[in-house]
Amino acid sequence: MKKQYNLLVALFLVIFLAACGNESTNNTNTKDDDDSDTDEPITLTLFNADGEEKEFNDAVAQKITEETGVVLEFDYPVGGNEEAVPLMIASGDYPDLIFAKGDIGKLIEAGAVIKLDDLIEEKGSNLKAMYGDQLDRLRHSLEDPSIYTVGTYGVDSPVWEPSGTFQVQLDVLRELGYPEIKTLEDLEAALTEYVEKYPEIDGQKTIPLSLLGSDWRWLITVGDPAGFAAGLAGDGQWAVNDDTGEATYKFLLPEIKQYFKWLNGMNAKGLLDQESFTQTHDTYISKLSSGRVLAIADQNWNFGDADMALVADGKEWRTYAPLPVTLGEEYVHQGIKNYGYTGGWGIAISSTTEHQEKAFEFLDWMASEEAQILVNWGIEGVHYDVVDGERKMKEEDRNRMNTDANYGKETGVGYYVYPFPQWGIGAVDSSGQPITPNNEEQIIENLNAAEKEVLSEYSMDNWTDWFPPAEELGVSNHGQAFSYNIQAGSDLEIIMQKADDLTEQRITQAILGDPAEFDQAWDSMLEELEAMDIARANELMTQKTQDIMELWGTK
Amino acid sequence: MNQTSSNASNMPEASTIIESQVKPATQKKKYSKQNGKGFWKRLSTQKMLLLMALPFVIWLIIFKYIPVAGWTMAFQDYKPQFSVWEQDWVGWKHFKDLFNEPMFYRALENTLGMGILGLVFGTGSAIFFALLLNEMRFMALKKWTQTISYLPHFVSWVIVANIVITMLSPEGVINNILTGIGLIDSPINFMANPDMFWGIVTAADVWKETGWNAIIYLAAMAGVDPQLYEAAKVDGASRWRQMWHITLPSIRSVIIVLLILNIGNLINIGFEKQMLLGNNIVMEKALVIDLYALDYGIGMFRYSFGTAIGIFKSVISVILILICNGIAKRIGEGRVF
Repeated sequence: MKKQYNLLVALFLVIFLAACGNESTNNTNTKDDDDSDTDEPITLTLFNADGEEKEFNDAVAQKITEETGVVLEFDYPVGGNEEAVPLMIASGDYPDLIFAKGDIGKLIEAGAVIKLDDLIEEKGSNLKAMYGDQLDRLRHSLEDPSIYTVGTYGVDSPVWEPSGTFQVQLDVLRELGYPEIKTLEDLEAALTEYVEKYPEIDGQKTIPLSLLGSDWRWLITVGDPAGFAAGLAGDGQWAVNDDTGEATYKFLLPEIKQYFKWLNGMNAKGLLDQESFTQTHDTYISKLSSGRVLAIADQNWNFGDADMALVADGKEWRTYAPLPVTLGEEYVHQGIKNYGYTGGWGIAISSTTEHQEKAFEFLDWMASEEAQILVNWGIEGVHYDVVDGERKMKEEDRNRMNTDANYGKETGVGYYVYPFPQWGIGAVDSSGQPITPNNEEQIIENLNAAEKEVLSEYSMDNWTDWFPPAEELGVSNHGQAFSYNIQAGSDLEIIMQKADDLTEQRITQAILGDPAEFDQAWDSMLEELEAMDIARANELMTQKTQDIMELWGTK
Repeated sequence: MNQTSSNASNMPEASTIIESQVKPATQKKKYSKQNGKGFWKRLSTQKMLLLMALPFVIWLIIFKYIPVAGWTMAFQDYKPQFSVWEQDWVGWKHFKDLFNEPMFYRALENTLGMGILGLVFGTGSAIFFALLLNEMRFMALKKWTQTISYLPHFVSWVIVANIVITMLSPEGVINNILTGIGLIDSPINFMANPDMFWGIVTAADVWKETGWNAIIYLAAMAGVDPQLYEAAKVDGASRWRQMWHITLPSIRSVIIVLLILNIGNLINIGFEKQMLLGNNIVMEKALVIDLYALDYGIGMFRYSFGTAIGIFKSVISVILILICNGIAKRIGEGRVF
């Protein structure tokens, strides 16, 4: 359409002009240099790719300013704008701190961010203590093994809330007398039995299984559950051998085919929601909220709204339990695998800031025990009390935390954890207490009444007890393949994008097609994948994984 | 489709293009033979007019001509951190990549397919609707109908797409009606059938834009000499006859000019409709050039590749306009230049 075209042209113009005007913009910023001597707090601008409009003035923020003399000013991409970082590079006008997520490679290439190695070595005692032997995981690449970013995810992050796998309604478990559900067949049998018993729920047709495969969420509700069922770890579209680093595009694997064949069967038997691949997220959430969907395969953060709505309506028995189902008993479910610190993303300090040292001191301070307690728990006496030497969240605060989506934004409690350096939910402070209120004990306490009852019927404490224990699965040597920084516009990225576009379409068509034609549809998809040189993508990804393992010293 | 939806917005712009291109040419012819004095005299008498045109000429230069310099990107491996002089020049590499990509041809086919469908049905429905409105004699009702009919134009595609998807879902209104009156046994999953996608997009577009697009034809019809109708009535022509023999021929030049302009935009059908209505099943029919440029160009930081697509689109647009203009010239109808 005309408008887009004009926009694009305007963008070229901006880039063109900016490219010409580069020098002048760089020179204008050299004033107001040494304000670090005065008591006035320094304002650091932070670009947050996941940010939102927010003033740095809540209780926790004030405390941070008091301790560090830093006031943050947030900048964020409007409407999820993909152009924010490229435009930043084109204009040469950088904020002091940059959290660019996957775009960090472009900033490094443009020389927009500084190396942090020396700073960490000299004055990063908190960061060093926090990362410990995982420090190598921050390194950029084999060719350039410098550290540019810190933070994003917690260093010690065990999985206490299984997510992304199959989830079944609690009422199904109760009605069927708490059966063992280990395989897809068990699940199918349970759903079939329940639907026969209750063809309608609250006057509406019961939906045995609903997915959300109409947009990018295909990856989390269709693609990822296939990997889990086949006993693969959460590496996105890849199946990675954690010992050798060998990576295969996962849809080439026969066990993945087996999973989709099962889904195809589910569809033919009328157990799969007909709208699974056409509905929008809103429709999906409203369906789930009505309580008539028996099973889903989804990430907790994607259907959290429905969960809250169900609890608010008093339909706790319609909420979901995560299931460790696989294709067969011989597959080990990797649902609660510990991936270690995955590195990749983080906050960087720009090369144009005049407050380089201050910015680094701030980041280092955020990694201190004092800071971690402050950002996770809030202020003592205001948000939490110390009872018998243990931190306890105030009742009111805990309730708001679980039900009020604005709690963090208003009080600052928990708001400054991501994407800053964080110890992680599994960490403990120097007195042995959990560093965050989201520790396992609290998570269990926060489960709803129905969940607790089901757990006790199965004599478990938490859903994680259902899954093969994390200790047995070991810590991943390569992190998670989907969070790699893959060079923009590289062969690997292009082939991957094409392959993803193709598989999303062909697999969906195969699932909805006649079971008799499934094998044929699958084979022709494999042929198409071969034609777009998927073998080369496998090679490049293997290389990438092996490089990372070498860089991290985990090979 | 969008060509038609941008009719009205194209008009002022189109007329400036016509003027700016027609004016210098005619002036040249007239004044090249006269001496310089006459030219300056003429200039000074028209200075108010020229002054009024100036802002638009400047606008045109800044927003339409200067950005063309950005086309150089298509011949470089463009990296935003470097200035123009520091870029790597790679010649036709990005065009070669583009023309070697099967996906691009699929995108081109879909773009032209949906573009043509939109053009035919968009123009047809707008003219038909304008004719009906024009025949309405009860003024208050006519105004109401017109207002209501163009309201959907102001509704965002995000909302329209959601309405369409909900209505066409297996549990949606359309399926309920169809099964209710016994036309079909089991609900049809419209949005899951790639072959229906073009049709759904076109239908949604017609619903949204017909009223809006009809405005311009209605305005043209208002200019038809009433005496013609009176004469026809005297000769005993029915309402339908009058429409066919008087109204339509009278607005023929308007229709043709708009058609030419819209054909030039055939390839610029945008991507919101396809992106919002599309899903993974129908993607092979929903992938349009702009969507392809977004996903595989800008989205991957491949500005040069994106620019190459943009240039290709511009070239196609110019070719289409020239062809149509030539046809219009030959049949002796109103043309753009």
